[in-house]
Amino acid sequence: MRLEIENLKVKVGDKIILNGFNLVINKGEIHAIMGPNGTGKSTLTKVIMGDPNYEIIDGTITFDGKLLNELKVDERARLGIFLGMQLPLAIEGVTNADFLRTALNTKDGQNFKLMPFIKELDKNVEQLKMKKDMIHRGINEGFSGGERKKNEILQMYMLKPSCVLLDEIDSGLDVDSLKIVGENVYSYAKEYKPCMLLITHYQRLLDYIHPDFVHIMKDGKIVKTGDSSLVKEIEEVGYENIIAGN
Amino acid sequence: MNKIIIKEDIIDVLDTNNDIEVLFNSKTEFFDVNSITVNVKTSTNLKIIYESINEIKLDVKINVFENAKLNLVEYRKANTSKIRYQINIYKNAHLYVSKFYDSKSIKEYLICNLLGENANIDYNFKTISKAYEKYDLTIYHHDKNTISNIKNNGVNIKEGNLIFNVSSFVYNGNKNAEVDQKSRIINLTEEKCQINPNLFIDEYDCIANHSAHIGKFSDEEMFYLNSRGINDNDAIKLLITGFLTSNVDEYVKTKINDAILKYWG
Repeated sequence: MRLEIENLKVKVGDKIILNGFNLVINKGEIHAIMGPNGTGKSTLTKVIMGDPNYEIIDGTITFDGKLLNELKVDERARLGIFLGMQLPLAIEGVTNADFLRTALNTKDGQNFKLMPFIKELDKNVEQLKMKKDMIHRGINEGFSGGERKKNEILQMYMLKPSCVLLDEIDSGLDVDSLKIVGENVYSYAKEYKPCMLLITHYQRLLDYIHPDFVHIMKDGKIVKTGDSSLVKEIEEVGYENIIAGN
Repeated sequence: MNKIIIKEDIIDVLDTNNDIEVLFNSKTEFFDVNSITVNVKTSTNLKIIYESINEIKLDVKINVFENAKLNLVEYRKANTSKIRYQINIYKNAHLYVSKFYDSKSIKEYLICNLLGENANIDYNFKTISKAYEKYDLTIYHHDKNTISNIKNNGVNIKEGNLIFNVSSFVYNGNKNAEVDQKSRIINLTEEKCQINPNLFIDEYDCIANHSAHIGKFSDEEMFYLNSRGINDNDAIKLLITGFLTSNVDEYVKTKINDAILKYWG
């Protein structure tokens, strides 16, 4: 099981966002991508997920040996790819329970069983210290920024993806919520061993999730790779100095 | 619960608790329309069900008298219908409406008079439109501290052609009135739909809002649901269910879910 991105070139309108991007994430590995604003980090996660607003003009994305380039978003998700979004959408009237039930029904087909679903949902809601009534409310409807991020992690636990992309999952979280989200993401990584890609700006998330590789991205490609000590270096001297000394 | 069932030209009043008064005027040689008047003097519930394979023509007058609260639930499954409503809400009275139509062709005129201080209407309407459907709603705020919340949601399919005309009037001197109109049509066809929201406000000291939206579900909503493995058809079904079943009575919700099953499997 591995996610492989080779020489990826992506544009929106006339603007090239990713330009010769390469990355391989093996099963059980955690990779963190950091970098200045506007370098294409969020674009990368959306392109892997198949957002039709982005056009791949060159390169390939493969997962578990399957070429993703031409697959639709839902087809990619059913292969086991999950995107925890930076700004999760609120959808009026569609309850979290109905949404998750439909998603799991699609994934598991005839193997889907209602009672185990309810038990697991209750367990995960408690583990993430979420309000119990949230499962009967509309998706992210009236949720705070922190509750929305927890809801993304709840969905990850319910769907059990084998490739997890988390786009700034730490933004908008208070210290307590950051701890809960960080610890839950890390235990998921240790228990299910997915290919995991984190996009973040801050070291604080990486206090809870310990990445195997840290990459710095600039102008649509990775310009430096290191281990978790690179995060400390970024905090101390900033991206520009590290990139200049590259 | 008080129940009125309208089938063809037969109007049945069932299960009344004697807390409503229902009066009929059958159509005559000169007036080709049945009419029905409902008088509500104490707080109660009323369900009106229209089921007809022929055209229904009807005048409906509902009076919610002082201090009464009426929960009105309506379901209409008819071939074609032309209904005129006149609703009068008196001082401190409150009307909650929750209704769903699954009919072929509809013309409906509704006039609501908020006649006394603190008169209040909460109106939640849902429809699945498959042919010509036109709704003219007019709300008159005749007194101070009156409130109208009007919410129309429609899904337009097949040869549907859905029109919402909503007009709210606040006259000078009727301070602290609150007016809210929200209309949204999900148009799943290439046919034309219209929303005409009108606010006629002649008083500075009031709150008035309106929103109107016609379109398909957004790309962002579809992306979010697709990203969890849900295919386009199931995503649309889920979004329609959410769109139509929010803020409605349980009976209406059951009817909406039946209709969604019928049209989207």
